[in-house]
Amino acid sequence: MIWKDEYKIGVELVDSQHEELFKRLGDFIVTVRSDQDKEEKRKEIEKTLDFMGEYVVTHFNAEEALQKRYNYPDYENHHKIHEDFKAEIAEFKKEYKENDYDEDFVLEFSGRLLTWLINHVASTDQDIGEHINSVK
Amino acid sequence: MDVKYLNPIIAATDSVFETMLSLKPEKGKMSVQEELITDKEANVIIGMTGDIRGSIVYSFSEEMALKVVAAMSGMEMDTLDKFVTSAMGELGNIISGKATVGLSEQDLECDIVPPQIVTGKEINITSEADSVLMVNFNTELGDFDVSFAIK
Repeated sequence: MIWKDEYKIGVELVDSQHEELFKRLGDFIVTVRSDQDKEEKRKEIEKTLDFMGEYVVTHFNAEEALQKRYNYPDYENHHKIHEDFKAEIAEFKKEYKENDYDEDFVLEFSGRLLTWLINHVASTDQDIGEHINSVK
Repeated sequence: MDVKYLNPIIAATDSVFETMLSLKPEKGKMSVQEELITDKEANVIIGMTGDIRGSIVYSFSEEMALKVVAAMSGMEMDTLDKFVTSAMGELGNIISGKATVGLSEQDLECDIVPPQIVTGKEINITSEADSVLMVNFNTELGDFDVSFAIK
């Protein structure tokens, strides 16, 4: 599994959502890397990608609501990062279809996604935890 | 070649490896060469523009690249495929992005371009730089090189 306790930011709601997000990311990656019939695989990839993508939106909304509630100073910048990320997923879905569901294309996207999300949670999101815990 | 831009890049390397992989890279040998020749199979090239023009190249052995991505994903990796190389590419991108923040604090404004990944055996990465400074780092998952080919 992808989730590690070291990625915790010290805010229970956010940590439990991050753990769920990584679980769905993991399922997506396992599917992308699996050896199966192209058509079956494409359906599974789309299913796991959608499942992860919808949780990205749920989680980002919840996290941003929390940031606002606690007057997180970097809210605007963080919100933009979230919006850009959501746009990237949407762009990928479009190009994946246009590229006739090319395997290398989705492998490349999912590898980059793994590193990006880990860095976002383990590094960028840590500041939120520090802020919330200092004003509580 | 001015050494003052080395420190933000080294600091960024340390910070990202610590945060994302719980690894503490130990800085080792530094060398200056005319060309960037490496025996490491996975190379992430990050072009830099602005006040510093050139490239930062992160070089990992295939074995280390597989171990790093296995550590991040919690899954076994056995080939240097597009998943592994792009995960490593993003790592190079993150480190370099962080370095530009540090460089900006030294009044050096730079931008980076998306990673280019070169794999293979005995690679010569040609650039317009007159010389290449290579720093070796050692970690529990293996050693890697960070090279600066600055014009």
